[in-house]
Amino acid sequence: MTSSGSSDDRAERDERWRLLMRLAQAGDTAAYSRFLSEILPVLRGTVHRRWRSPQDVEDIVQDILMSVHSVRHTFDPSRPIMPWLMTITARRIADAARRSSSRVANETTVETMPETFSGADTKSTQDTSDDQEAIQIALASLSDGQREAIQLMKLQGLSVQEAAERTGKSVPALKVTVHRAIKAMRASLQRKT
Amino acid sequence: MRTEDLIDALADKVEPVEPLRHPAARAMGWMIVSFVYLAGLVWLIGPRADIADKLAEPRFVIEIAAALLTSLMAAIAAFCAGCPGRPLWERFAPFPFLAVWLATLGEGCWRQWVQSGPDGLTFNIDLDCFQAIFLASILSALVILVMIRQGAPLAPMSTTGLATLAATAIGAAGLRLFHALDVSVMILVWQFGSVLLLATIGFLAGNRYLKWSLPKIDGGDSGHRQTG
Repeated sequence: MTSSGSSDDRAERDERWRLLMRLAQAGDTAAYSRFLSEILPVLRGTVHRRWRSPQDVEDIVQDILMSVHSVRHTFDPSRPIMPWLMTITARRIADAARRSSSRVANETTVETMPETFSGADTKSTQDTSDDQEAIQIALASLSDGQREAIQLMKLQGLSVQEAAERTGKSVPALKVTVHRAIKAMRASLQRKT
Repeated sequence: MRTEDLIDALADKVEPVEPLRHPAARAMGWMIVSFVYLAGLVWLIGPRADIADKLAEPRFVIEIAAALLTSLMAAIAAFCAGCPGRPLWERFAPFPFLAVWLATLGEGCWRQWVQSGPDGLTFNIDLDCFQAIFLASILSALVILVMIRQGAPLAPMSTTGLATLAATAIGAAGLRLFHALDVSVMILVWQFGSVLLLATIGFLAGNRYLKWSLPKIDGGDSGHRQTG
């Protein structure tokens, strides 16, 4: 009785998804949003069952959703939707596995990551001090506007929008200022060396 | 980006799309274009002098029919391969017809061996045959290669391999109407061999040619990115 009820529910759900997808093909935003939201738990469950690393599951699910979006015109409304959806899901999981294995093949596993270069390459305290002094000189050679832009975006790490709000300049103008400032600093540092 | 936000972004940019027509209907459309091209080619080059006699030979007709059916079934299979959820056996549909085509050529070789002994299987280098197949197939190949990009790249190598088989098989069938070469071993090696060689090249190029074109969501950009 329960099994029959469950199978009826599933048939009803598949039929609903088929109709929603047909509406989505006609450009119905609400139907498409509902379709994608309803398939989301099914996709997550499927990927969870087939993928070992839980941290990758959401990336793969997003990849499947974008794949469904890009090939939604290949769904034939006269055919059942689940084989269509599950074929795309299986294909994208297989693609993710292939990408993952090729990435692993190009990686080297080390027990401890080196924190710095080997002794010969490590900078001495004197070198570091010289570099800092050269950067201070290069900064001092900039105009006030350029120096402020560099301090906000490169030293304090503000985004271009945040720095634009702070300085009152437009985003494009600020980008140009930073570009020119870096160019001037580079020239100053090259002169020193 | 959260997956729920991605869904909102995808729903926001959904536009009406025309569902792909049935693979058989698309294959028939492609065949009509290919027939028109081949008819033009035969008219331009001129049909072989003995075309009327050849069309009265059952073996010749079976060979042409097998090549055309291989082409049609390979085109349908290539389009089916781009439609998610279709059964896997559809991709193997052209192979019985390919086997019949190969059998007619094999039977011709055997008959010539019985009639003339080893001399009946004389084999020469005939690169013209390869060039003629290439010429007879090129437009059909270009059209079908554009058409398969409308489907999903679920099995890129099978899809491009089948598409190239479809184009070269119809080219080989057309070639028999204007290229007067009836030595079975030569047809087997240079015509059938060219078909298999080009289909293999198409198969191997599949992963480079067919890739997923995913929507680019970040920053509201409506462009597409390609992934393997």
